[in-house]
Amino acid sequence: MLEDPRLSIIVPFFNEEESIRPLYAAIVAAISQLQVTFEMVFVDDGSADGTVRIATELARSDSRVRVVKFRRNYGQTPAMAAGIEHARGEILVTMDGDLQNDPADIGLFLEKMNEGFDIVVGWRHDRKDKLISRKIPSRIANRLIGKVTGVPIMDNGCSLKAYRAALIKEIPLYSEMHRFIPAMASIAGPRIAEIKVRHHARQFGKSKYGLSRVYRVLLDLMVIKTVTSFTARPLLWFSLLSMPLLFLGTAALVYTLVSSEPISLPVAGSGVVLMASAFIMVSAGAFGELVYKLGDMRDYHFSRLTQRVSGPHSASQTRNS
Amino acid sequence: MLQHDLTPQLSVIVPVGERYADLREIFDEYKTGLTAAGMTWEMIFVLDGPHAECEAKLKQLAACGERITVVGLTRSFGESTALMAGFEQSRAEFIATLPAYHQIDGNEINTLVVGLSSADLCVGRRWPRRETWSSGLRRVAFHRLAAWVTGMPLRDLGCSARVMRRRVLEEIALYGDQHRFLALLADRQGFRVREIDLRQSPKDNFKGGYRVREYAHRVLDIFTVFFLVRFTKKPLRFFGMVGVSTFVIGLILVLIMTGQRLIFHQPLADRPALLLSSLLMVLGLQVFALGLLGELIIFTHAKNLKDYQVERIIEFETFPTPGGGGSSSGLQIGSLVDSAQPDS
Repeated sequence: MLEDPRLSIIVPFFNEEESIRPLYAAIVAAISQLQVTFEMVFVDDGSADGTVRIATELARSDSRVRVVKFRRNYGQTPAMAAGIEHARGEILVTMDGDLQNDPADIGLFLEKMNEGFDIVVGWRHDRKDKLISRKIPSRIANRLIGKVTGVPIMDNGCSLKAYRAALIKEIPLYSEMHRFIPAMASIAGPRIAEIKVRHHARQFGKSKYGLSRVYRVLLDLMVIKTVTSFTARPLLWFSLLSMPLLFLGTAALVYTLVSSEPISLPVAGSGVVLMASAFIMVSAGAFGELVYKLGDMRDYHFSRLTQRVSGPHSASQTRNS
Repeated sequence: MLQHDLTPQLSVIVPVGERYADLREIFDEYKTGLTAAGMTWEMIFVLDGPHAECEAKLKQLAACGERITVVGLTRSFGESTALMAGFEQSRAEFIATLPAYHQIDGNEINTLVVGLSSADLCVGRRWPRRETWSSGLRRVAFHRLAAWVTGMPLRDLGCSARVMRRRVLEEIALYGDQHRFLALLADRQGFRVREIDLRQSPKDNFKGGYRVREYAHRVLDIFTVFFLVRFTKKPLRFFGMVGVSTFVIGLILVLIMTGQRLIFHQPLADRPALLLSSLLMVLGLQVFALGLLGELIIFTHAKNLKDYQVERIIEFETFPTPGGGGSSSGLQIGSLVDSAQPDS
């Protein structure tokens, strides 16, 4: 066996038969100047066209190429997750398969990683996409994501990102979380840097995303917030959610009891209903505690991924264990 | 090739539940069909509950030197569990499930097996069908509904004749009433599924379709499966949608009534709509909270739940040759999926 490479480039492909060869050539050209050992992990997300055939040809002619072929189309997040799982490098770089990212930027990512950052994300500051349907919604979404998750990144949607393998392999990625990987990774408290990258207009094929994502992004955001900041404290989180109910309910009941007027049915009724629902919310939180206890996510697993230990016994075990 | 003789090519699982015909007759019919298919096979009967009479018959068959395995379950666990119990005893690379009553013509087993050359799972569809026009209508309506809800146009969910590669059942642990939807679950796992027309057995004497209660059960099953395949990975998508819409309806009602109270001075006290709207809002919140809890469960178990199935990893390791042009002499080390085909 060859030694594990230092760098893994992960590219998910879905029906990109025209792009795959130019992208391969661009990656090789860009990285051969950097003097690092590297591999390319091409994930085929159930393409129906010649993507797999071309990827297989590339793999045959270049042993640095590995192709992970899905049984069917699963979507971008599973493709990224599979690439991350099968990559062997210490530093993982993910990018889109549609030639909109420029592999020449990988050098910058590597530099940043060498400075000690755990995650480096790209920012398409000069984005070549449609303004109305792509850029404006994305800007709003990014502001919102930054606000809610506390990871202020200008461009969550940019696929060109670099991760320390030991960290990202432990972060659960599922459903459509690829847009939120830095936010999701924030459970481990990584050092995140953001750098400007080039962005090209789409050359081949059509964009595979539209406006319909807004509702899903909002819900996903809610999920991210719940699981990243409150996983270990579901009771607290649900209690917070129930606070307004509790407050309104108490106010209504107190008003009913204190007021000298005859009891108002709407006020008293709403008070009882609100109190009851607050109680059920808190119970849901207690249930969440049970779920957390039975699950296998623990904060200290994540803290270990990014910690730096100094002291006489710390040796070299600070990161990769 | 002694090993080859010991491990049969096809394991046939026959779950014996509430409905069964004369097992000896069934066995003979299947045996004829299997022999015609030209494969080595074993047959596993799973007695789902105490069926003393069947057990006796199977003992007789075994005494006659037939190659059958009998798994006896102490109580009735349901067909899915029976299938899994039978699967545990099976050894062959290809698995068939056949009903313990007359559904398909035994000679059609070969048709099913041949279908595996381009699929991982073949499910039978009895066609042409002998039935009254009313039961036919009900059948079509039911399957249309199922197809619409699940997004997969299967046309005979009641047919228990299936043939599959071993890894289908290895990956899909059936429970409850899921055996009916094996094709759908397999499709979601990325397996290639085919529905194959089979001749109906002349003795398939199931009369008059299902009763209403049965249909209610089946429809509930469909929704269970729908939920399982669509929303298990993102509960908030479902609960969130229901919760938010309920909440918004309640909110709109409240706003309308508040407006009427403030502008038209219409008293609130005698309006039941007030309670309704507050209940709707609260209900919406609760449902949303349920979705969040679901997400919490998914997240805490995310390491064990894999979203995707890798068909294979294609990689070639080239050993550099001194000439430098050794790129074509690749040695494949990837774990290519077996391409075993049934004899056909």
